[in-house]
Amino acid sequence: MSKRRFIRSSILAVCSFIRESVLSDAYAAKKGLLQARDARFKLLIIFTLLLAVLFSKNIIFILSIYGLCLLFALASSINIAFFLKRTWIFMPLFSLFIALPALFDIFSPGQPLVSFRIFGLSLIITRQGLMSAIFFFVRVLTSVSLCVLLALTTRHYVLLKALRIFRVPQVFVMTLGMCYRYIYLFIEVVQNTYLAIRSRVEFVSSLKHGQGIVAGNIASLWQRSYVLQNQVYSAMLSRGYMAEPKTMDEFHMSIKDWIFLAMAILILVLVYGKNII
Amino acid sequence: MAKTLFELKGVYFSYLGKFPALCGVDLSIPEGSRVSFIGANGCGKSTLLQMLDGLLFPDKGIIKAFGAELKENNFNNEKFAREFRQSVGLVFQNSDVQLFCPTVKEDIVFGPLQLGLDKQEIKKRLERLVDILEIKDLLDRAPHQLSIGEKRKVAIASTLIIEPKVLILDEPTAGLDPLTSRHIIDLLIQENIAGKTIITATHDLHIVEEISDQVFVFSREKRIVRNGVPSDILKDTELLEAHNLVHIHSHRHKDGVHIHAHTHLEHHAQE
Repeated sequence: MSKRRFIRSSILAVCSFIRESVLSDAYAAKKGLLQARDARFKLLIIFTLLLAVLFSKNIIFILSIYGLCLLFALASSINIAFFLKRTWIFMPLFSLFIALPALFDIFSPGQPLVSFRIFGLSLIITRQGLMSAIFFFVRVLTSVSLCVLLALTTRHYVLLKALRIFRVPQVFVMTLGMCYRYIYLFIEVVQNTYLAIRSRVEFVSSLKHGQGIVAGNIASLWQRSYVLQNQVYSAMLSRGYMAEPKTMDEFHMSIKDWIFLAMAILILVLVYGKNII
Repeated sequence: MAKTLFELKGVYFSYLGKFPALCGVDLSIPEGSRVSFIGANGCGKSTLLQMLDGLLFPDKGIIKAFGAELKENNFNNEKFAREFRQSVGLVFQNSDVQLFCPTVKEDIVFGPLQLGLDKQEIKKRLERLVDILEIKDLLDRAPHQLSIGEKRKVAIASTLIIEPKVLILDEPTAGLDPLTSRHIIDLLIQENIAGKTIITATHDLHIVEEISDQVFVFSREKRIVRNGVPSDILKDTELLEAHNLVHIHSHRHKDGVHIHAHTHLEHHAQE
């Protein structure tokens, strides 16, 4: 990629990533098993299953929960290829890097499986090391899948509101909601600014020049957000805001929500209490 | 004689103490009236509106609302603040400023919730407004997904739901298509008939006559240079020209070149 295109591609890629990952609620708007659940219950169910995955020492059990995730994804009209892409792209990248040292006998002594030399250093992969790396990977994969499932099937602002069941202060939830609201506005500003630059100069003469333009725009965006913050606060005051935000929470729970939650708690109790799985 | 709602005497205001925005403004606004402020960009109209809404306060001079002086300290008193916010509503020029919640519905009900209105009453008002403004389909959408016209309607709804006695609007028709503009003007007329005082800042001379009984013209020196009934103000092309509200326009018309002040009003009908 040429240096000239680097800045352009970076700006467009970042904006597009935020649009798709943060602002897309296409799946949350669909009708499906998880979309129909009350967000508060869904949050509790996922949280309970996460705890079960965390406490479990049985890889088959964790894989079963992962299988359950895939079933939930199917029942919630989520494209499985999309779901796997979302959960697997960063998985090998991060968790395998973290788990890599555990493969070797330095950290996991035990029965040798493979041995080799790198830069004169003798390294042995042990059976125990390989097992703990796989275990770690599967646990992270299942946990990430549960979280992605929650995020995909719940509108972000509803999810934020549901955080109130964990006693997250209202002002915090509201501020997050406003951040979410204005991310889009600033993405537009960034894209329009970039287009305006492009319409005038098309190509920046050097990478250094390009970096200068980007730095200037970051400063300008910061200034705009500062001005906007003051204006938004005025708009809030104008409509009666008095430092204690009040919202209208409209959740609709059903008997199915209770059943799902009871099942999740039962799984956790079996894992933690009786230690049978 | 109608009661005076707002009274300003010798009001000066500057941003950061060095950028003057209002330089000696005197005016009074009677209850139930329709008032417009017109003037060039940066002449202080928006600042004045924010002052009438108790968001900015004069550096010098006095501003009275409902018979009491408006001071920043008064708003520390919850009862005063609540009563004032219930009585005066401002629709901002930039709807993105006003629509700060994740969904349209939350934005509309934000005001009455903060003011402690009963939730059933809020729902009733919401349903009524949604019907009037025809925005039912927008309720669950995020403000960033709306067009400018839709945003403006939602911003107006978010103010009207408070049912203020005074409705202040900053450029309510700027950037809107003719049909949406018409819809908003009709709504303002209806609200005035229902007893609300309507205060508007605008560049759109088309709408001035319809939405005002009294027009204040601002100069670039950030003070009021003239006030009067709309028909008199709009006829005074010299005044409008001097304050960037019209421009001299030349075009071929019928048999010859036609030169006149371009007011966007019905100049041809007067010939």
